[in-house]
Amino acid sequence: MAKKTARRKVSKTEEKNGKLSAKDRKTLKSIGGLAEGVNKAAFRGRDPHLEIPSRSLSNVRYNKTKRFIEMGRGKNRRELFNLSQAKSYMQTVLVGNGCRQLINAGKTTSIRGLYYLLKHTIEGTREETFDEQKDCDPIIEDVEVMLSALREELHLYAKNAGAMVGPITLVDSGDEIDCSRMGSGGYSIPSIAEPEVVQFKRHTAKFVLHVEKDTVWRRFNEDKFWQEHDCILTHGGGQPPRGVRRLLHRLHHELKLPVYCLLDNDPWGYYIYSVIKQGSINLAYESKRMAIPAARYMGMRSKDYERCGLSSSVTIGLNDNDVKRAKQIAGYPWFANKKAWQKEIDLMLQNGFKLEVEALINKGISYVTQEYVPARLDDRDFLD
Amino acid sequence: MDIDRNIEGKGVPGLSPQATNGKRSPATENGRTRVAKSGTRRRRTTAQSMAAQQRNISVSEFFAKNRHLLGFDNPRKALLTTVKEAVDNSLDACEEAGIVPEIWVRIECAKGNRYSVAIQDNGPGIVKRQVPLIFGKLLYGSKFHRLRMSRGQQGIGISAAGMYGKLTTGKPVKITTKISVRKPAHYYEVEIDTKHNVPEIHNGRGEGVDIPPGEKGRAYMQRHGIEWVSHYAAAEGQTPKELRSGTRVTIELEGKFLRGRGSVDEYLQQTAIANPHVTLHYVDPEGQERTYERSTTELPVEPKEIKPHPYGVELGHLVTMLKDSKAVTLSQFMTSAFSRVSAAVARRICEAANLSTRASTRKIGRDEADALYQAIQQTRISNPATDCISPIGEDLLLKGLHHVVPGEFYAAATRPPAVYRGNPFQIEVALAYGGGNSVEKLTYEVLIELLGHSDARTLRQFLVNTFDGIGSDSADRIIKSSGFGSRQSPARMGPADIKSLLDAMQNVTLSEKQSMQIMRYANRVPLQFQAAGCAITQGVINTNWRSYGLSQSRGGMPAGPVTVMVHMASVWVPFTSESKEAVAAYPEIEKELRLALQAVGRKLGMYLRRRKRVKQEGERRSIFLRYLGEVATAVTEINGGDRQGLYEQLLKVAKRKTAEADTNLDSRGRAIVESDEDYGRNVLVVEQRPEDLLVGLAKTDDEQKQLF
Repeated sequence: MAKKTARRKVSKTEEKNGKLSAKDRKTLKSIGGLAEGVNKAAFRGRDPHLEIPSRSLSNVRYNKTKRFIEMGRGKNRRELFNLSQAKSYMQTVLVGNGCRQLINAGKTTSIRGLYYLLKHTIEGTREETFDEQKDCDPIIEDVEVMLSALREELHLYAKNAGAMVGPITLVDSGDEIDCSRMGSGGYSIPSIAEPEVVQFKRHTAKFVLHVEKDTVWRRFNEDKFWQEHDCILTHGGGQPPRGVRRLLHRLHHELKLPVYCLLDNDPWGYYIYSVIKQGSINLAYESKRMAIPAARYMGMRSKDYERCGLSSSVTIGLNDNDVKRAKQIAGYPWFANKKAWQKEIDLMLQNGFKLEVEALINKGISYVTQEYVPARLDDRDFLD
Repeated sequence: MDIDRNIEGKGVPGLSPQATNGKRSPATENGRTRVAKSGTRRRRTTAQSMAAQQRNISVSEFFAKNRHLLGFDNPRKALLTTVKEAVDNSLDACEEAGIVPEIWVRIECAKGNRYSVAIQDNGPGIVKRQVPLIFGKLLYGSKFHRLRMSRGQQGIGISAAGMYGKLTTGKPVKITTKISVRKPAHYYEVEIDTKHNVPEIHNGRGEGVDIPPGEKGRAYMQRHGIEWVSHYAAAEGQTPKELRSGTRVTIELEGKFLRGRGSVDEYLQQTAIANPHVTLHYVDPEGQERTYERSTTELPVEPKEIKPHPYGVELGHLVTMLKDSKAVTLSQFMTSAFSRVSAAVARRICEAANLSTRASTRKIGRDEADALYQAIQQTRISNPATDCISPIGEDLLLKGLHHVVPGEFYAAATRPPAVYRGNPFQIEVALAYGGGNSVEKLTYEVLIELLGHSDARTLRQFLVNTFDGIGSDSADRIIKSSGFGSRQSPARMGPADIKSLLDAMQNVTLSEKQSMQIMRYANRVPLQFQAAGCAITQGVINTNWRSYGLSQSRGGMPAGPVTVMVHMASVWVPFTSESKEAVAAYPEIEKELRLALQAVGRKLGMYLRRRKRVKQEGERRSIFLRYLGEVATAVTEINGGDRQGLYEQLLKVAKRKTAEADTNLDSRGRAIVESDEDYGRNVLVVEQRPEDLLVGLAKTDDEQKQLF
């Protein structure tokens, strides 16, 4: 009996969704599949479970031909009737339901918003569905990989981070934006940079220069570096969020612009480069839409201390953690076979210090925009 | 002359004026002569004058000065020791006479810190001429010279209590005793003459008073203010039965009445546990009456008196025995004075000692005695007969413990008798698990009273010292949750403070961190002090309780709501001191303790494992149940299905799943069916209703794992 009614109602909800986009319908269908799985298992007297692709280091591998990190086939089984998994099972279903609500309403929210949307006290107990946002975030990622739907497709976004300026005009949610007329703040890169939201209109840029931080980016913007060199200038506020990476990916693939990165010469900077180039371990399932294998590393280089004649006062000593992390990075399969990178990391370890991009200001306020980067561009002195 | 020299020898050169000047005169080389000559040192005493002071020290004088040796070190303990000695004597007397004991204990606050302690029994009574000696002479008794299991040993206890009473209050000991219904009772007021260790009788011109039997006597007692319980308590509507015989001792002494650990209350409770054949009536100084009813009318088997075993005799003792013996030949002596020595064994011993079996006992000198002693140690002699010990028995242990200690699981084990140094002994262990602790039954009024009586300086100290089962850990948690400072004084607490303390005490779950309670007994007498130095405590600590499902830190007491009682029965219990507070650790005793503790531990382990399984099942189900509703809601919201239908369906699966998970699989993956009857003998499981178990669960696991 119950089975029949359930099916009839499913079809009803689908009808109601007629006005939704094709992408949304696809997402809803996969969420519905999730629910149907529970239903089926329950009525057959089986143990309901979910198959969630594993997002651990052990389940990613470096694809040498595609040159980015891919997710393996490893899956984790999450069971309702397993003491340690019951709660996260419940949470997964809740997140699925939350996303369904968002899609049906045609709205998006932040992951924090979803956390609040789903947070309530479980009936008859004093226990919360989610105690903290950090309980919710990994579940959202689980749902993403499980449904192989992107966060954007679930109508979720992260906070905006990163900015862009340059000779490019684009359309963001219907508004035309000329990125060469953005003042000192630049165009704030949205967390959803999918073609549905952002379309490129025209551009005259020759390359993309991605810098690590806001402070460096402002130097370049103030010196109108992008005007002089015809480039798009972006930053990601440290480790670039998905929106920035997605936009870089699109600039590179759709507009065929090379991407150069100007990052700090420390393990953290190396890893930012690695994420832009090959994708991250945690979001390995999105590598094909985010990784830019052709990106190039411009600096800072370990040899810059001598090459630029920097003062020893602007160096920062490596701590134990840095050394450990550097060795770890050198051991990643995508760095292991690159002699230049091995040399680079070795030299940093030999130096015993790291160099931030800002350190170049010691040589002159605009040294970085007028001498350092132009020289690198002229020499084509990049690391792969 | 010798003494002279010694005294002068003490004239250290450093004391002479010359030496202090730092000048080294030649005379200092011969300091002795110098001092004598100069006459700066007066002769303090002479041998003659010293001899005038040297005299006999009476035992009673010695103990009057060293009362701590007998357990009268402080007022609190003095009160306890007095009750204890009297009750122990009463029990011994009743059992020896074959009377099912009934004992009345009444403690009254006379004035200030003086207490009047009265103990009456229904024992055989005491013959008139013996009364003064028993209560007014130290080291007078029937039990010292024989090897027989009894509570008392030396004949010091009750007369020492009387002596202590006299020392602190000046009042004599009052004794009323009656040996038959028809014969007159005797009333004595006795005190001990500490100088000579002889009794002094105060009343009836030094003769005591005879009280006629029957109605006349009762009138006389009332007139003279002599207390006497003349009838047993009877149920409503029945005529009370008259006491045929008995003895009542009243001692007034300086003491201090406190509750908690090491108190009279505790002693009587523990006595009731180990003596399930005794009925105890107890009236405390506040007038509260408590009765511990007997759970059996069966008296313990009468222990037999035995002759000493050769292994247990020391050289000095052997020499005295030889001297006292009426036997003519060595062989005769050996076979008559010792147990387990047959003529053949005696011959072997004599051969080993190179002595003739027909040698006269008179002619055995010190060297021969030594040889004999060595020979005894080398000869194999069978162990002494063990029927001289009367253990409580597993059944009665369980009964007694269940009667007094609330719990859900009880187990007992009695080891077969064993022997240490030629003395037979037997170890018994009983264990109670679960049940409420003393704190749960606590009321506001009682707490106020306890606080008022306590002499603890801090609240923490008060909690740890007053309550069973509160260790320092639990005390800290209570104090923390009640919001007091760590140095809060228990004396300065207002009603609101006390209320919040009570709340905290009842809300903090103690069962997890509670440490095991140990009740130690020697010949059915509870041992309340010097726990750390006792072989029994050490035995408990050295047992690995972790393998029986209790938590235990290394070298520490196991934790959990467990009470263990350990009884050592022996013809001669090896105490570490005269106040009889701790059992000495002989390897044989340690071994038996270990085996007995392990026996009950195994049973407890079985019970706990079984209980844990039931508990886990409940928990597992509850966790699933908690999330099923959410899952059903979310799923039906997604696909628009029937929530109730799905929920019920999921519930069905959940129940089946948990049941499956709970069946244990053996190594081949087959389900093991465990029967409930495999605890073995001597286990008592008090059925707990499932609701109770759930309540207990919800309480111990915070709200996190709350059930619904």
